[in-house]
Amino acid sequence: MSEALRPTRKNEQKQPGWQRLSPWAVLLLLLSGGVTLVRQHLPLVLGAGAGLTMLERLGLRELALGGATLLGLAMLCSLLYYRRFRYRCDGDVLIVQKGLLEHREFKVAARHVQSIVTHQPVYMRPFGLVLWEVETQAGEASRIALPGIRRECAEALERELRSSTDLAPSLQGQRNATPSEDRASARRAAPHFTLNGKAIVLHGLASRSIFVIAAMLSPFVRPLERWVHDVLPQLDLAAWQPASPWVTIALGILLVVATLSVLAILAAWWRFHGYELFDEGDRQVQRSGLVHRQEQTLSLSRLQVVEWVQTGLGRLLGRGYLVCHQYGSSGGDAAESRRFLVPGLTEAQHEWLTVRFWPGYAAGQPLQRVDSSYRRVLLLRHVLLSTGAAVLVEVLAPGQLSLLAWGGLAGGLLLLSSALAQWRWIATGWAKENSYLRIRRGILGQRTGVFPLQHLISLRVQQSWLQRRRGVATLHLELANGRQTLPYLNAKEAHRLADALLFSAENAQLA
Amino acid sequence: MSFTNDSLDPQHLPTLADARLAPVSARLAPCQAVLRALHWLFLTALAAALPFLHEDFAAWQPWPALGIAALGTVAIALGWWEARRRAYGLRQHDVIYRRGLLVQRTQVLPLARLQHIETLSNPVERAFGLVRLVCFTAGGRGADMVLEGMTAAQARAIRQHLLAHLESTASERIESDLP
Repeated sequence: MSEALRPTRKNEQKQPGWQRLSPWAVLLLLLSGGVTLVRQHLPLVLGAGAGLTMLERLGLRELALGGATLLGLAMLCSLLYYRRFRYRCDGDVLIVQKGLLEHREFKVAARHVQSIVTHQPVYMRPFGLVLWEVETQAGEASRIALPGIRRECAEALERELRSSTDLAPSLQGQRNATPSEDRASARRAAPHFTLNGKAIVLHGLASRSIFVIAAMLSPFVRPLERWVHDVLPQLDLAAWQPASPWVTIALGILLVVATLSVLAILAAWWRFHGYELFDEGDRQVQRSGLVHRQEQTLSLSRLQVVEWVQTGLGRLLGRGYLVCHQYGSSGGDAAESRRFLVPGLTEAQHEWLTVRFWPGYAAGQPLQRVDSSYRRVLLLRHVLLSTGAAVLVEVLAPGQLSLLAWGGLAGGLLLLSSALAQWRWIATGWAKENSYLRIRRGILGQRTGVFPLQHLISLRVQQSWLQRRRGVATLHLELANGRQTLPYLNAKEAHRLADALLFSAENAQLA
Repeated sequence: MSFTNDSLDPQHLPTLADARLAPVSARLAPCQAVLRALHWLFLTALAAALPFLHEDFAAWQPWPALGIAALGTVAIALGWWEARRRAYGLRQHDVIYRRGLLVQRTQVLPLARLQHIETLSNPVERAFGLVRLVCFTAGGRGADMVLEGMTAAQARAIRQHLLAHLESTASERIESDLP
């Protein structure tokens, strides 16, 4: 648990064991901060032309002078930050003191640590430095980083925190933690899962990176359009251009998709090159990264939900990835990329790894479908939405479509609505397997969450008047990674499942 | 700490459907009505004050305000009815809160997950002598359960019960931490 307190400096400065960041960290912090600043503002400066306008308005010399002043200020701040930043391990508590204007002290008890991440960006490698992060059960908001300590110090710190938790086996759940020495030797042993080149390529294609990259590149569309408009007429491309405009459009789309796919593969390679997963008893450790090396430790006793994610293309390619959720993990793709993620898995590999993460779990049972009235409700929703959209089109552009065209549009929308409702109904399923619950949702892309019943945080049983008439209910389950919903279950089944979940969650605490 | 492991009959586990729920304070309905009335009055005033820019529509000026006022009256009446049907329950190991009129929602929070409790009240609630109990859990991103419509005495009693449970859980944890 981390907490911010005002340090009693007089007493604590005398205490031994305080350590500082590496002096190189100041320079590297400055560099990385500058790079981040430039990266974040580059699309704005280039895209809107604000950079050129500012240059013309202020003048090159004045701008350089301003930049030098800012750099000087940044260096001064970095030096002060370095002076104030110190840390030490006091028994099983990591203490960090930092702050430029406001002095803050953070205390992290080893028993509350749920994950440790070590990054080594390329610019830190020559100095043997790493960026070390620790996260408690309070989630991402509680994350504390030591930005630039020697790798040996990071390893020693991790060992110290681990040895503290090893002394309290009751806190580690049912799994017995192996001693640090054994685990160190286990780490030197072969990894129990690695990624080959083909798996990385398929993960790049099957992941959501392609959409993320498209969104990142969108500010460059306008400048590119201007450039094409200015330059293209001067080039003699008529000989290369296909005769049909449709072929040209298709080729253009293909080129864009191919470029995005290549970039997505490169992004996957950047992050997951040399991926290795080690089994260290109570912990799983993964290392990966082409240039920016990253090591993540997942404490299995803190693991809350394991989620198997497959995008639409991923299902076609037979690939997906596992996301391991712990406490305080917020949703969204950006947050998901910071989670403990095992990429490029086949169906068989995913099942094998899930059993490694959840010993005793066996996914033999077929998923049960929810009540068929859910399909009718979905169809009704889709039809209402389509009708609303059609009315809007008619209001905005009256008389544009003939009666026949309206008939065709209505038929097409009805067919599409029925297909979507059917797919979603088929995809939504659940299974109670011993003390675990498996829930699947999605249409083209699907997510299947597996979690022990006892990991429930709270639940809600919801019934509309229509559901009461039909004898069905919707179950909302609050878990560490957000909400899982089981819509339109048979009311008796929903209550039975709710009772079983509550019994497991409440009984686990008493045991 | 003694460890027990009695056998249980899965057919006779305590069920949510059998949980006894008590209605919240009857003062919640008028309190909600006042709060909703203030909200809809503001919207009605806004609709009445905003002039129509087109002259052809100037004659229709009062109608949006009247429509919003009518909608507000229905919303207040439904809110009153809904507030009268709200209920809560305390069991040995969880808290239950039921709300909703057309869509009924029954929320259950295991006490084992409870981290801290807050008591809140706005001026209108204070005028009616009501408070809200807000329960937070570990890893949650906000309030996980809000018990509305508690009288001060009810809120105090529930708070005491929840705090006693929290303290006993904390002391059990400390005992189990000891070698």
